[in-house]
Amino acid sequence: MALSRRSLLQLAGAGTWAGADRLLGAFGDMFRPASPLGAATQVITACGVCSPACGIKATVENNALRFVEGLAGDFSGRGHLCGKGAAGAGFLYDPDRLKYPLKRTNPRKGIDEDPGWVRISWQEALDTIAERFGDALKRFGTESLLFITLPSPDVWLRFMNAIGVVNRIDHIDECFLTDRIIQRYTTGFKSWCNDFENSKYIVLFGWDILAKAKLVYANGIIDAKENGAKVVCFNPVYSPTARFADEWYSIRPGTDLAVALAMIHVLLAENLYNKEFVDQYTNFGEHENAIRTHFAQYTPEWAERESDVPAEAIRRIARELGTRGPAIVPAHKKTLCANYQNASQLVHAISILNILAGTIDRPGGRYVARTPAVPSIDAIVPPPPYPPKQGRRVDGKDKLPLVLQDGGGMFSTMADGILNRYPGMIKAGFIMNYTALSFPQPQQTLDALATIPFLAVMDYLPTDTVTYADIALPGTTYFEVSDIMARDYYAKQPQFVARTAVVPPLFESRSPGYVALELGKRLAPDYFKNPDGSWINLNAVLDERTKRLGLGENFAEFRAKGIVTREQAFVPRTTFNVPGTTKCQILVPQFKDAGGDPLPVWRPKRELPSAAYPYYYLTYIPAVHKRNSTQNNPILNEMLGTTVASLNPQLAAKLGIKEGQRVRIRSRAGEIELPAHLTETVRPDCVLVPHGFGHRSRLLQTAGGKGVRDSDVIPSQSIQQCVDSVNFAGASCIMDAVVNIEPL
Amino acid sequence: MTRYGWLLDAKRCIECRACESACKQWNQVETGVNVRFRRVQTLESGTHAAPTAVALSLTCNHCIDATCIKVCPVKAIKRRADGLVIIDQDLCVGCRLCEKFCPYGAPQFNEAVRKMRKCTGCFDRVDAGLAPACATLCPTGALRWEPWEDIQNRGTDRVAGFSNPALTKPAIRFLSTTWERK
Repeated sequence: MALSRRSLLQLAGAGTWAGADRLLGAFGDMFRPASPLGAATQVITACGVCSPACGIKATVENNALRFVEGLAGDFSGRGHLCGKGAAGAGFLYDPDRLKYPLKRTNPRKGIDEDPGWVRISWQEALDTIAERFGDALKRFGTESLLFITLPSPDVWLRFMNAIGVVNRIDHIDECFLTDRIIQRYTTGFKSWCNDFENSKYIVLFGWDILAKAKLVYANGIIDAKENGAKVVCFNPVYSPTARFADEWYSIRPGTDLAVALAMIHVLLAENLYNKEFVDQYTNFGEHENAIRTHFAQYTPEWAERESDVPAEAIRRIARELGTRGPAIVPAHKKTLCANYQNASQLVHAISILNILAGTIDRPGGRYVARTPAVPSIDAIVPPPPYPPKQGRRVDGKDKLPLVLQDGGGMFSTMADGILNRYPGMIKAGFIMNYTALSFPQPQQTLDALATIPFLAVMDYLPTDTVTYADIALPGTTYFEVSDIMARDYYAKQPQFVARTAVVPPLFESRSPGYVALELGKRLAPDYFKNPDGSWINLNAVLDERTKRLGLGENFAEFRAKGIVTREQAFVPRTTFNVPGTTKCQILVPQFKDAGGDPLPVWRPKRELPSAAYPYYYLTYIPAVHKRNSTQNNPILNEMLGTTVASLNPQLAAKLGIKEGQRVRIRSRAGEIELPAHLTETVRPDCVLVPHGFGHRSRLLQTAGGKGVRDSDVIPSQSIQQCVDSVNFAGASCIMDAVVNIEPL
Repeated sequence: MTRYGWLLDAKRCIECRACESACKQWNQVETGVNVRFRRVQTLESGTHAAPTAVALSLTCNHCIDATCIKVCPVKAIKRRADGLVIIDQDLCVGCRLCEKFCPYGAPQFNEAVRKMRKCTGCFDRVDAGLAPACATLCPTGALRWEPWEDIQNRGTDRVAGFSNPALTKPAIRFLSTTWERK
């Protein structure tokens, strides 16, 4: 049962969590983010909510952040911020922030167990973590360590490489690795760059590009509209993006692949593809017969039966795509990779559509970011040779050879690995900035984490995962660290923005780089020394990085400029970095070698409606939130603080559900209970629930206990299921659930 | 002094709510008591076969014939020379009459301090020659703040779901809410 706000308050009042309260209590009076005009100074920095990292002009007074707004000339935000970015002060001054390192005194772990936090020093925290990790390494080897963290900043990666970590897991596999792998073998690059403003025809499979509020894309689409482009959108939900589309089709969930295959069929059968590009820059000629024969089966009439999209519409859209270009079929994260078991095949089909449109690295198409490589710490201070990575993969990723080439590890199979495949193997874990809400079946994930004898968690907030930690470390927000941000979402020419610590770290919060360095000194000292034997200084590394990029003599000099853009003409590529060739590949022999499909084959989504579970279960991320990391922001929580299940009135009438009535949604994995909201925007055979809510940590006073976890009904998977279903690029199947819905 | 007004180009709105966040941070609007000067509201109509939805970012319209000023028993609501309608927090007694009479739900009761709060038009920014925070931060040009003289005849004075403008003469104009189809 979800905790109500009231019960949270009662618990705090009863003193159950008093120890924590004292440490983590209000610093509400610091939350005064507004700007007095006048005396304040302005600092350039970069947003840290999502990856385009829009430029920020921050107003700072007396070491307090007063106001944030966009930075003129910035490619990502074009001088603006979205609602999340503009609410930035709500992250920095969140009253619930972790303030000091904490040690658990209650050995029992559970979401409702009071950890019995005791404040400790950074010295004690780091010494304890180093001792426990060192002990696990010595007795059980590298396979006994689990890191759930991004490989950044790169000093973290250096630390993990130095101690030979094999089990590192992050959300990259969950969100876009499938796309990255397929792109590598078809066009030779994975890019976030879409040249919308020069595109005349845009086809969106499911991607709610505008509602994600990534400004670089939203403004690109609006430019395209103003420049006369046509936008077509396939989505079972009439999303905010659908409003911008000239044509919207309420497609049956999980059947985008059928429509994409049929569009390829039409382009080939009617020879409407870009012959010049395809002949010159792809392997079409080598495999023409095989390719034509393969796609002959996927007629628009067949696709209509699968998808509910009319055959004549598919045929016409394909013809328009072939003749009204430049055309682009963009793809992004959840659209493709996380959604359905057939994501590998769908990404491949979409890549083929872009190749047939002839817009790979051409105006109006997907292009390779003209971003210079930022020199890594290993380039600046070369390390001794790293030890070989030995040991078993807890997520089983070694069973998917293509997936193993890239990314971290898999969220969707991790719990199965810890609990079932290799129980007891993981002896020590470190989690940074991830909460269990990111995983399918989060309770199973928490149960798995509870089996790890020693767990350290670093975050700026006391998340659900922190509740399971033995040591909790207070992390910084993006307003308290400095770095160089190289633009890679709109990158026709290089641009760099300085991320600047606009205020000193609050309380005793520290950056991930500091922790990597300090643990490195204790566990692998040889890797954290300069040639003269002194310890590596991360500020000196940043200065050297600035210098090598030609941005200034040191970081301070670059920071004073804040933003640097290099004029450079866009020269389209004539060779492509595809493994084993210089051409784009339509037919990919390497996929066959890896147990996959060399050409995309129609495969249905994993779970189809049945008598027990008659409806499709869809999730989405609301525009005002980023994943599950923003719900405790007081400004954003007020805009959207809890969950409803959106249902079509037709389905609601059939089930006897009224507006606001509580419903139970049940899948084979679990169930949730929440109020219903009736809306014509959702297909009558679907239910739509937002992601990111249902935080349970009692120390999250704004978001804790509000709403349900959408992922409680999303089944996790085993690695064998991926192999058996030809899920060869490792899709995490977030939208593959089917459910039963009943009124309460 | 130049009078300004809102120009809403709702078809460009992506519901990111930068306008709402901007307002909160500039005006130090308290959180957790459901006082939000500006709110983005989505109005849906039609059926799943042919749905429509329009997102409207709305706040106080600094009406030319503002009812709130007339009904306030303690004369706490005043109009500046540039037309901005302001609630004097020192004078407000929290009787909520303005809330009852405003057709747009602009004045909101803050339970904690028992006073009415509403959009100030960011008069401190306006005095410094800047646009209000919301219109400054809007990333897509959906929400604009323009001299009333320039926009008073642009677009229309109302859209579906918006109260009859004849009542109070709100300083807001609406451009077409849908894109031309191709």
